[in-house]
Amino acid sequence: MSGRTHVPRAVLVTACTLSLLSSPAAAQIRASELGTVSQVIDGTKITVQYSRPRARGRSPLFGTKIVHWDEVWTPGANWATTLEVSKPVTIEGHSVPQGKYSVWMVVRQSGDWTMVLDPKVKIFHMDPPDSNATQVRFPVKAVTGPLTEVLTWSMPELRASGGTLAMDWGTTHVPMKLDVEPSLRVTMDAADAQPYLGRYEYSEKQGARTKVSTFIVLYDKGTLKGEWEPEDKYMGRFALIRIAPDWFVPGLYDKNGEIYEVLRPDMVMEFTRVDGKAVSLVVRNEDDGVDATAKRKP
Amino acid sequence: MDITTPTRRRFVATCAAVLAAAIVRPAAALAEQAQKSPHPTPRAGITGAKVLTAAQLTRTPELIPLFDAVREAPEIADGIRCNCGCGESQKLYSLLSCYEGDAMARACTICQGQGRLATRLHKLGRSLDEIRAAIDAKYA
Repeated sequence: MSGRTHVPRAVLVTACTLSLLSSPAAAQIRASELGTVSQVIDGTKITVQYSRPRARGRSPLFGTKIVHWDEVWTPGANWATTLEVSKPVTIEGHSVPQGKYSVWMVVRQSGDWTMVLDPKVKIFHMDPPDSNATQVRFPVKAVTGPLTEVLTWSMPELRASGGTLAMDWGTTHVPMKLDVEPSLRVTMDAADAQPYLGRYEYSEKQGARTKVSTFIVLYDKGTLKGEWEPEDKYMGRFALIRIAPDWFVPGLYDKNGEIYEVLRPDMVMEFTRVDGKAVSLVVRNEDDGVDATAKRKP
Repeated sequence: MDITTPTRRRFVATCAAVLAAAIVRPAAALAEQAQKSPHPTPRAGITGAKVLTAAQLTRTPELIPLFDAVREAPEIADGIRCNCGCGESQKLYSLLSCYEGDAMARACTICQGQGRLATRLHKLGRSLDEIRAAIDAKYA
């Protein structure tokens, strides 16, 4: 025995072909180029991977031989489009467990379309899955919008707790409301909030000098909130979001009353209690340095 | 959707599969990295001997007290996962590693903040578990 292992020629040829195809040097122009869109929202990563067909002057796209009405269609080309979520999410109010799914849409001439997420991901577009109990299915609305030449998945709108996941191709626009599991709880019981409420003399380092103002902690609409007097226009009235027993971080509100940014670890407010009541606080930045201190006013 | 002959379609499918495999693997790896790993177990007999000294911190003298504090509590710093991402990208074992060798903590405020918080709470007598919880609350 020479010790050599016989490798079938077909295996060698296949291996060489796959190796070449997967290397950057094996560039190839495709009718539907592979694309990926990924977005992190509050620690949840949402990824859509898909081949992107072009309209190439074909109009309309739906209700034709390109995509038939009532077809179970993957919104992409070649291998089925996939959606992966790193944590559970809801889409259009329907629970989607953490995992990876092939994405399908039942396209209809009138009425809602049906979004189908199938846990089997490696499916060619010509072999749509039959309806089964493992799928997540829910209605979505297809509306008319501006022309999109290349089929595009995107997240054109983001909130602290989610955003809009959208599919566009031709003049068809399918927006879906996606929500993630929030990592922080903004609301707080009134009894829990009570020990912190009040006015504090707030001393903030500003270069060589110290700025003194009044920091007010109040309870508003089920949330512990803070604000300065005189008003800090950037911060406004903000949520105090608990991250540890007596530690809070500011959550800044936009004009619609939605939190758009949480200042963690940039601005952690550490309260100290005496006999159960907060008497002072220290504001620490991301390198744990002290930016400000405050003492409860009599 | 592209209209192709079955043969071409299958060929395109094969190409797509290969490309997908090449692209999906790194994407999956990144997704795994995005999930925070648990805090490391302090290594038996660990010391702060490799933590940079004042002589090695001449360009950043303001950090000398912090490095000194970490050197004095290696069993704490070695039990904390750094949350700046260096653990995944540079394969550093623990927060202690950020204060050794190339010492990412010389420039990274997240490394510095975790070191200050950990040593501050250690001096207050907090346990490693309590310190880990505080680190997670602020930085994870």
